[in-house]
Amino acid sequence: MTGGALPWRPLLVPLAGLAVWEAMSHIGGVSNQILPPPEAVAHRLWDGFTTGGLSVDLAASLMRAGFGFALGATSGVAFGLMLGLSRWAGRLLGPLFLGYRQVALFAWVPLLSMWFGGGETGKIAFIALAAMAPAAVNTWRGTRALSRDYVELGAVLMFQPLDTIRLIALPGALPAILTGLRGALIAAWLATVGAELFLDVAPGLGGRMNEGRETFQLDLVLGSILLLGVVGLAFGRLAVFAETLLLRKRTA
Amino acid sequence: MARRGWLPDQILPAPGVVLATLREFTASGELGDATLISLQRVAEGFLVGAGGGLLFGGAIGLSSRLNSLFGPTFLALAQVPLLAWMPLMILLVGIDEALKVILIGIATFIPVVLNVAQGVRDVPVALREVGRVLLFDPWSMVTQIVLPAAVPSIFTGLREGLANAWQTVIAVELFASSEGLGYMMSWGRQLFQLDLVLAVVAVLAVIGLSMNLGLTRLEGRLGRWQVRVP
Amino acid sequence: MLMKTDLTVPALEVVGISKTFHVAGKPVPALRDVSLSVQNGDFVAIAGASGCGKSTLLRLILGLDRGDLGHVRIDGMPIGGPGLDRGMVFQEHRLLPWLTAEQNVAAALRRSGLPAAERRRRVAEQLELVGLTEFARAFPAQLSGGMAQRVAIARALVNRPRFLLLDEPLGALDALTRLRLQGELARIVRHGGTTALLVTHDVDEAVFLADRVVVMRPHPGRIADVLTVELGARRDRSSPSFLRIRDRVLAMLGVSPIDDDEEREAVAACSFTIAASTNGARSDRIGQNIGAWCGRGGARTEQDAYPRTEGGEMVGG
Repeated sequence: MTGGALPWRPLLVPLAGLAVWEAMSHIGGVSNQILPPPEAVAHRLWDGFTTGGLSVDLAASLMRAGFGFALGATSGVAFGLMLGLSRWAGRLLGPLFLGYRQVALFAWVPLLSMWFGGGETGKIAFIALAAMAPAAVNTWRGTRALSRDYVELGAVLMFQPLDTIRLIALPGALPAILTGLRGALIAAWLATVGAELFLDVAPGLGGRMNEGRETFQLDLVLGSILLLGVVGLAFGRLAVFAETLLLRKRTA
Repeated sequence: MARRGWLPDQILPAPGVVLATLREFTASGELGDATLISLQRVAEGFLVGAGGGLLFGGAIGLSSRLNSLFGPTFLALAQVPLLAWMPLMILLVGIDEALKVILIGIATFIPVVLNVAQGVRDVPVALREVGRVLLFDPWSMVTQIVLPAAVPSIFTGLREGLANAWQTVIAVELFASSEGLGYMMSWGRQLFQLDLVLAVVAVLAVIGLSMNLGLTRLEGRLGRWQVRVP
Repeated sequence: MLMKTDLTVPALEVVGISKTFHVAGKPVPALRDVSLSVQNGDFVAIAGASGCGKSTLLRLILGLDRGDLGHVRIDGMPIGGPGLDRGMVFQEHRLLPWLTAEQNVAAALRRSGLPAAERRRRVAEQLELVGLTEFARAFPAQLSGGMAQRVAIARALVNRPRFLLLDEPLGALDALTRLRLQGELARIVRHGGTTALLVTHDVDEAVFLADRVVVMRPHPGRIADVLTVELGARRDRSSPSFLRIRDRVLAMLGVSPIDDDEEREAVAACSFTIAASTNGARSDRIGQNIGAWCGRGGARTEQDAYPRTEGGEMVGG
């Protein structure tokens, strides 16, 4: 492709889809409830942000996701470090962790809701749980794969465990840890949306979507989907950007 | 901890209690029925999603034209959290089996497509040239060269797809179903029978582990040629 | 060697081939106006340093790539792409890792239209030719580099192609295996009477195996010269004519066997001395000896300069 030419192929399908959508929603007999035209969705989103409570919902969801992510990611990295650095921890707790990961995430919702009641803590605990697993797994792999040479260096230099972690394990396993954090972010967002949907949480995007469904406001539902997709994309890009930034100095 | 009675049974039942519950529900057949229902849903959704994923992923992996046409759209749609499709799907197809199969299908489809496309793209050019030199027709190219070379990636995709499928079926059954393992858990919660909930958790763990093992065995069988003589 | 046909149309002909690659936006001329003709039964080696375009040339003859200008013709007809009349051995064996040795060889027969029994027979025949019958059921991961490359050769020959193209086939092997396989290759090609085109950067290999050596130079890739390897030089690494031709090729590629002035003077003195000691009598043998030992071949020891047989007689008298 020569510089300056717009890549038309990737846009072909979405634009065509949009055109079909537009056409179909104007066909007589297809009520605007069942298939709102694209303008209606855009309008709805605009309204939602300016006058409706959509920004509140978005903020609430993001906050939950953020807290849960922070909690889950840090504990996940810590756990992963322990599994990777301590041989007995790896052998004892490793299989248990593997078994735990087989269990569907949402299976923990009943248990957590019983232990924490129905409040915010429970939800954030759930999101943290979701974020923990990817962070732990990748950190574990990263520390386990650390070159023997570096670990021995730590022993030779009489490093305290904290020093080993700070100067050898963390930097050495950093790429893997960052991969884990990226996974944790995605998992946290997925858990947030899922929990809000299932538990009909409001304020929150999930609750808003449910409202749209219950009142048959398809434009709200579709608009929320779009919003969720955008946030998901933004998270992904953010994670990649952070990774590149932190690992930048490594490639000569 | 649980056995010593430090915590009341409502918060953390003793393993013994959980085991007893397991036995009780297996005997009554309820556990078996629920497991079968969940398994069936996973199987249906997985087959649809994996089959479609293999075809679509293979197509966009092999043809750069198709990739530039459909790839970005697919990636954009994949950004939407899976469960966010549920309200829309409920409006479109209602709340019965079709909903579950569709959602499980989507959950399987996405990782399969991503991994298969990558695996196909990663087939070494050197081997593809051998195919050209030996005048392989497109069908032979795909079956003799591309597919075998992409087997590891395909299986990674299938593993991820299966894991996703299970996550989805449990989640949906927990909140929008009246049968299956997920439903049993939510029922146990409603009755404050934590032992039942934990029993199902144990069952899920076992199923998950055995499925992973099965897939790994299958992959080992297909990849015999990778074994090196020591 | 087969008799050259007296048809005017060469078996394989490259006419005015040019090819330019584009790397990072810049054009890189890989080949410029290269022409070559090959007759049935020839063994042609294409020698040159890296970047002279010899592999590109081979790929164009094979039909894997297309030239920007010029044609490749077989029996006067331009080629349209790869064909079963041209078998190829790459530098990496490129065996399909999930097929056994015999399955790999059999893969080449998929398009041959032969019945299954005949295919099996041919596969067994080829594996025997390369000496790997016992390893027919082994997977490539279980074979050594040399063995895998032999399977690749069997695969290239199983269709009884008219032309055998080899792109640095022994380059990835260790030196000992390489020498051994060079002999094998000579035997195998002679056995089938196939016309062979060998691309190599190893000049010794080129002179050892080929009837003609095409010397190529880079930037842009072009043919510098084509040398004929005389009968006495072929297949005998220690014969003087071998050394002479080898050194000529090396010189063309910019590698001189004598690198400092002192040695060069000694060489000059040597020539004079030999000529003097033979009383100026010049037989072909002496001429050859001088050429080999004192010319660019380079005298290194007294034994080289004044060679004596076991009996103590001076050679070349």
